[in-house]
Amino acid sequence: MTHRLVRHSDVNINRRGQLHRRDLLRALPAVGLAAGALGWTDLVSLQAEELRKKGMSCVLLWMQGGPSQFETFSPKPKHKNGGETKAISTSVAGIHYAENLPQVAKIADELCVIRSMSSKEASHPRATYLLHTGQVPLAAVKFPTLGSIVAHNLGDDQADLPSFVRIGARFQNSGSGGILGVQYDPFVMASAGRLPNNTTPNTPEDRYRRRLGLLGKLEDDYQQQGGEQAVKDHQQVYDKASRMILSPRMDAFDIEKESRTMQQAYGSSEFGRGCLMARRLLQAGVPMVEVSLGNWDTHTDNSKRSKDLCGRLDQPYAQLIRDLKQQGMLERTLVIWMGEFGRTPRINPRGGRDHFAPAFNAVLAGGGVKGGQVIGATDAGGQAVIDRRVGVLDLFQTFCHSLGIDADDENDTPIGRSIKIVDGGEVVEEVFS
Amino acid sequence: MRRSAAFTITLFLFLATAARADAAVPTPQATAAKIDNLLLSEIFAGKRQNLSSKVDDETFLRRITLDLIGELPTPGEITEFTFDPDDAKYSKAIARLLNNKLYGRNWARYWRDVILYRRSEDRALLSAGPVEKYLEEQFNTNVPWNKVARSFITAKGSIRDDGSTALIMAQQGRPDETVAEISRIFMGIQIQCAQCHDHKTDRWTREQFHELVAFFPRVAVRRDGQKKPPVFNVVADDGPAFRRANQANRLRGTPEHYMPDLEKPTAKGTLMKPKFFLTGKQLPLGTRDQDRRAQLATWITTDDNVWFANAYVNRMWSELIGEGFFEPVDDMGPDRKPNAPKALATLAGAFVESGYDTKWLITTIMSTDAYQRQSRDRRKGHEKPFAANCPQRLRGDQLFNALTTALGIPEGGNASTYLAASRGPRAQFNAGFGYDPSFDRTEVRMSIPQALAMMNSPLISRFMTAAPNTALGKLLAQIKDDEAAIVELYLRCLAREPTDKELKTCLAYRKEIASRNEAFEDLLWSLINSTEFLHRR
Repeated sequence: MTHRLVRHSDVNINRRGQLHRRDLLRALPAVGLAAGALGWTDLVSLQAEELRKKGMSCVLLWMQGGPSQFETFSPKPKHKNGGETKAISTSVAGIHYAENLPQVAKIADELCVIRSMSSKEASHPRATYLLHTGQVPLAAVKFPTLGSIVAHNLGDDQADLPSFVRIGARFQNSGSGGILGVQYDPFVMASAGRLPNNTTPNTPEDRYRRRLGLLGKLEDDYQQQGGEQAVKDHQQVYDKASRMILSPRMDAFDIEKESRTMQQAYGSSEFGRGCLMARRLLQAGVPMVEVSLGNWDTHTDNSKRSKDLCGRLDQPYAQLIRDLKQQGMLERTLVIWMGEFGRTPRINPRGGRDHFAPAFNAVLAGGGVKGGQVIGATDAGGQAVIDRRVGVLDLFQTFCHSLGIDADDENDTPIGRSIKIVDGGEVVEEVFS
Repeated sequence: MRRSAAFTITLFLFLATAARADAAVPTPQATAAKIDNLLLSEIFAGKRQNLSSKVDDETFLRRITLDLIGELPTPGEITEFTFDPDDAKYSKAIARLLNNKLYGRNWARYWRDVILYRRSEDRALLSAGPVEKYLEEQFNTNVPWNKVARSFITAKGSIRDDGSTALIMAQQGRPDETVAEISRIFMGIQIQCAQCHDHKTDRWTREQFHELVAFFPRVAVRRDGQKKPPVFNVVADDGPAFRRANQANRLRGTPEHYMPDLEKPTAKGTLMKPKFFLTGKQLPLGTRDQDRRAQLATWITTDDNVWFANAYVNRMWSELIGEGFFEPVDDMGPDRKPNAPKALATLAGAFVESGYDTKWLITTIMSTDAYQRQSRDRRKGHEKPFAANCPQRLRGDQLFNALTTALGIPEGGNASTYLAASRGPRAQFNAGFGYDPSFDRTEVRMSIPQALAMMNSPLISRFMTAAPNTALGKLLAQIKDDEAAIVELYLRCLAREPTDKELKTCLAYRKEIASRNEAFEDLLWSLINSTEFLHRR
């Protein structure tokens, strides 16, 4: 046990962002830690609630390229538009998913599938922006992306880890902090396989600290010659960055710290590792993680390619939900599955499906969402929504409701125009009841 | 600290008049003096107490070098400049840098950012290289600003061959967004807020915005075949309506613009005539695209349109002094009051008289006392504007240049290819460190990933070691004396000599560390990571 305490002892820690050493010591006996049974993860998760302002957090599983609804959550095996994909039953009587998602089908009782998503944007960049921000692109205003909204509202400015981590390949128009400022930009990791870029000092820690000391001394002169505020701001960012990389909480980025069994449960794919890291980050107090999987843009050979993509989605997605549930975190974590649009009911001559915005799927779980249900419906051929149309704004209202964010809160643009977090739409009440 | 020789306005006047055959155009120095006097009376009630004092030679040289060519001055240039006894050395240095071809490139990159930071999608980055090349030439050959503006408004053709298409490409040719950007960039008027509803704070109406859109309905951006790397064309279509334009993937224009009905989004809307909101001048329906856009360009760039000259002057003033007459620079009015309205009117008037001469304007602003003062932190709300110059955070390109120069890093990549400016090492660096230059600079803040990159990036760190092949390694091999090596490092990184106190700190640090290489590596690391390195003072 002693070595763990030593490990924490030099961390300068405050109420929300980090553990107070004193708090830690106080917390230990309470959970029988004296027995030495708990590892690092348990230590930090003790206070994960405290680390987030409202205890809520969010994971966005972003399906880049626009997944086919027919091959995922809205199979239409009886109609020619449904193609070859069969439907399978799920853990909920009467609800069927596409055969490509056998593992996810087993946790259907946790999922709320919205089959009646509908929008007008069918180009990748514009729709990606819309589904990330709830707004169409506008030259004059850079709207904040969902993760930045969550970080701004639920994150703690004093935390040693970033409030918004984005894992996975880059794709355009997924947005940033925009008018909220760079401090709410995503902390981007190209891959979940290794520590994020530039978080390892190039020198041993004592030399790194020494350098910071020299830097501080050399700033004196400029500070006294008209640069007081500039130096102060600069040092604040450097302090925060240094605190982050010297923090023991950086372990949250290291999935090798998980047991073999746990790693295997998520699978070794890039997306699986991303999902596992997402769970670790949430445990360490990060309120928002976005993990992406692509490329769902199946203009050719849709059936086979969607099957393959579902193969990469199925296990990690199901495991993430299961794991969050087991850790007692699911109730306080909203897990969103969506892409920028769906795909055309008609299968094109190349066996593909093209972009289709009038009717597609989004799936919610956790965060107070009532699982085991389907909301909305399309006609027999999946051409049009015939029941309970849900627009993008409605969806964003629903996110905010789940996370306890006031969607009417306003943020100012650089030219002083106030913009609501979600400008219109209504909460889809059925999601929660 | 070394001081420059006294600054004599009269000598400047003499030199400038001699150089210019056209006596009708006011000289930069005469105009600068006039502006300083106006500021003194308009803002400071004739009192000079709170004005920051004149800058020292080293800071001035670093300032103008960054402002004009986006680079740090070399140690050689610094020595030469500070020891130059010539009274006119400031204006000589400005003129020398204006003739450097990097001047055009620096400002081309600035305007590239102005245009492309507001792109509606990333494919517009394909325009980065072409627009940079186009503007570099315009600035270096001193093409008048009204001509440059006209070329952006009337642009047509391949984005690869003609950089002036960048503004339209940035908005994918969507008429509403394109005219909003034209208005914002060239007139400092954000009329697009009236897009959906009548403007809350300004007097423009929704109808006036859509009348402006009506100059652009026939324009579209279309991909040129399946070329790789992709090329797009700005096209204009004067044919009959093809089909109802798909707003998401707009492949061709429509003959006329319809203002959407907010109540009935699916309805056709109201047919709009092209009409210019500032003057009410209009064109008949059916006018060809070429004539519509040429006429709009004329109405925007005419000498009578004070917004046009104001927008450019305000922006340049803000960039060089650190605060504009209006802030933010691209939202001037019509119902807002500038700091020092007479000074702005005088400077803008003289800019028009100069024939929209961009080199003239930059020389003029740099000749003012307002520019040549020592910098201070951004003023607090109750303090008066223009009492000092303001430190400016280096833009992505400037910082990239400063880093590569200070550390002796080769730029890498082939800068001349079509894609270099959107994909090369510089572009990647800019993606991490750049910012929208139209933003109020109080909003431009350093981020954690930026700090982490400066501190720990293996790419940068490699050049901060004292290996035999790095600039630091060579410096230490050449200069055996610690004090001299410290001075040299300061000159390279911050373009100045260390103060006595700094020198003492550095020498004390050097003594503490057994290895000379290690001590100097730490010092270099600290200088590169300092606030001062990141700002132009």
